[in-house]
This record gives sequence, structure tokens and C-alpha cells, in this order.
Amino acid sequence: MNDSSEELASLYVLDQLDRDARAAFEARLLREPALADLVRELEAGLARGVRALPRREPPADTLDRIEGRIDALRAAAAVAAPSGFAWAAFAKWGLAAVITVSLATLAVQSLRPAAARPTIIVVGLDSDGSTFAELPLRAAQDSDASFIQLASLAENYWAKPGSRPFKPESASGNSRGYALFDPGSRQGFIAIEQLPVVAEPRRYHLWLRDPATARVHDAGVLPLGGMNRGLYSFALGSDDTPVSDRPDFFVTVEENGAAPRPARPLGRVVLGQQRF
Amino acid sequence: MPSTENEIHEEIRLLAAVAAGGRPAFRELYARYSAPLFSLALRFMGDAGAAEEALQDAFVKIWRHAGSYDARKSQPFTWAVTLLRRTCIDHLRKKRRRPEALPLPADDTAGAELATPETARRTTEVHEAADRLRATLATIAPPQRTALELALFSTLTHAEIATQLAQPAGTVKSWIRRGLFDLRGILNEPVP
Repeated sequence: MNDSSEELASLYVLDQLDRDARAAFEARLLREPALADLVRELEAGLARGVRALPRREPPADTLDRIEGRIDALRAAAAVAAPSGFAWAAFAKWGLAAVITVSLATLAVQSLRPAAARPTIIVVGLDSDGSTFAELPLRAAQDSDASFIQLASLAENYWAKPGSRPFKPESASGNSRGYALFDPGSRQGFIAIEQLPVVAEPRRYHLWLRDPATARVHDAGVLPLGGMNRGLYSFALGSDDTPVSDRPDFFVTVEENGAAPRPARPLGRVVLGQQRF
Repeated sequence: MPSTENEIHEEIRLLAAVAAGGRPAFRELYARYSAPLFSLALRFMGDAGAAEEALQDAFVKIWRHAGSYDARKSQPFTWAVTLLRRTCIDHLRKKRRRPEALPLPADDTAGAELATPETARRTTEVHEAADRLRATLATIAPPQRTALELALFSTLTHAEIATQLAQPAGTVKSWIRRGLFDLRGILNEPVP
């Protein structure tokens, strides 16, 4: 094992690699057993180091508080999903809460280049491009509350297409969808309709491009499972790169199959705009 | 108190059960991870209230994202540490606070709780481990030790550590590598 690999392994274990370097290293991990063994050894050292910190117990009611938050999210998810939802896919993507709450206080805001207050970005997607709208975010500092508001909007737009704050530009029958995104908590929902069914190893992959930085963020693989429509939650990885409030979303079809996910879009754009 | 292979396999099983919605498995993971993660959050955040907030968020994320855990890429505890670290970074960024670089305290007896015989046994083990950690770090040359401590116990990136130490990034990365290897070697030695 050379110094470069050892250095990368150390930085990987300490979560000191940037996203692209981390993805590339994880790809190596899957095909280099010696490297994986080294990482395991370094992880053991990290674990021992963390566990050897002066021990402090959290407050006794912390678990109750956490479970209370989880219960609230589970309750939100307990409402029946609209037809066509793939609950199995939800398990992979984390909780996709589908709730119906009053949206009376929400109003579509006029478009602005930048928002000074917290907003939810709504992006209408079709095979020709994107349409933007903004909504006020009611709970800017609470990731769970933001998630529930996003879920309620996503479900409402799914069940009542007429309520969407945008109109599809492409002809009927073409692929279309919408994305809702909270730049603050870096999470959102993506709905897609009428995408051609693709079989493994081809997959649909969701990306976010931030025009402010020209950075493309990996938002994950769409677990369509042979269907041509679905509504899914997604979350961007945590890193030090903030996302501006006018992101582009686009979906590509990638050929990577079961291999590590591509670090950048390689395939054809089938939904939304790439605008490189 | 290192994780044995059996413990790691058990924690992988627990995460799979959490992904399927298992509440007992979640509570078991909390019992295993909450104290070390809270201790780490306290170092990252600097005060108990912020540390508890970060710990709560991290465990909600563990519950939400257990299904995406990949045992080929990391051990469960490392995965949880990464989730916590990123959560702390997010919280610090929202509060516009810079992460603080705190040295290891000279004594860790304050705050230790001996609530039950099991807790007492574990606490004794942890104290011994903490003593060994400090002894281990003391054998590492000061610049490397500082770089390693910052990489282990702060939310600074290696580039930020390089800036703080006024050293080239390559030098700091090399120090971190050597320090982690030294730590691995010494901490893996059997207890006399």
C-alpha cells in the first residue's frame, strides 16, 4: 500500500475528503480488498479514539425527545399514499411523508433572482426545460418540519395536478415532473411521470445544478423499479457547499448498473435542463 | 472499549432492523452509541445544549437513512460518527459559528456517572481507554498531534487545519495519516 492510498484512506475515515474524492475512493474500496482492510483497521482506531473521549452521557430524556420526533414523522407517513406510489422505494429513500394538511396559507410568490427569506423552490420539469416558483418556508430552522411541509406539498401536487404553480410546456404524453427543494435543509421531493421504463443496468439518476457555483450535486438514483412514475424524497449530502435558491434539476439515464454511482452526469438528459 | 467483529456484525444487523422500522433495534443502537456520540458532539459544539440538539438530529438521521447504510463502505459506528460530524457542521454553519479546536482535557472524571454496576464497569473501561488515548497522543510529536486532534475532534477540514497551523495542506495530510496510523498501532496493542 503506497503513501497516497494510505493518506486517502486516513482522510476517508475522518470524512475529510470532498464529495468527488470520496465517491472515487468508495469505488476503489469495492474492488480493492487490501484497501478495504486498511480502512477497517483505521476505522477501528477512529472508533477507539472516539470511545476513549471523556465520557459524557446525554440528558436522560434525549431518547424520548428523539422518539417523539420520529413518531411525528411516522404519523405523518401513516396517511394513505396516492395511487402509483412505490412504498418499497420509500424505504430505500428514507421517509417520504405523504400527508394532507391545509395549504391555505401558502401562496405562490413572484419569481425573484434571489430570496432574502427562507423559501421552498418548486421546479416544474419536462423534457424541454424547467419552470420555477417559490413558496415561503414555514419552519426554516427545523429540518423535520421542513420535510413535512415539503411532503404535504408534494403529495398535494401529485393528487391535484391543477394546484401546481406551473404548467407543463411539453406536449401531452411527454415525460414530466416536478421537484420541491428546501436549500436550507438540502432536502426535497421529486415527482416524475411518463418516463420511459428502463431496465437494469440502466437507471434514472437525479442531479441538482447550482448556477451560482456551477456545481452539480448528486441527488441519488430514482428507484422506479420498472414503473414510469413515482414520488420520492431526496437529500443532498452534507458538505460545505451551500446551494443557492435557484437550482436546476435534471434527470439522466445512466448505464452504471450495480457499479458505484457516477460522480457526475454522463448519460442523456431525459427530464429538466442541464444548462452547462 | 473497541468494537469486536461480533459487535460490528450485530450493529449491522441492528441498522438493517432500524431500516425496516424496528424501534427496539433503534433503542439498542442508541444505548450503544449515544454516550460516545454525545461526547464527540460536545467537543464539536462546545456546549451541552447544542450538543444534545446535534445528537437528536443525528439519531433522527440514523433512523431515516439506515436503509442507505452500506457495510462495504464503512463500519456502523464510523457511519454514525460521520452523520454526527456533518450534522454538527451544519448546525455550526447555521449559527455562523466557527468550530472550536479544543485540546483534550487533562482529566475526564468530571461528568462521569456511575449509575449502575454495568455503567460503572463501562465507565472504568472508558477511563482506562481515555488514559491510553492521552498517553498515545503524548507520544506523537506536537505538530502531528495537533493536526490529528483537530482532524479527529473538530469539524475543521484538512484545508482549514492547514490554515490554522500555517502549514502546507500536503504536510498536514501527511501528519494526519501518520498520526492515525500511530494511533491505530498503539491502540490496537493488547492491554497489559
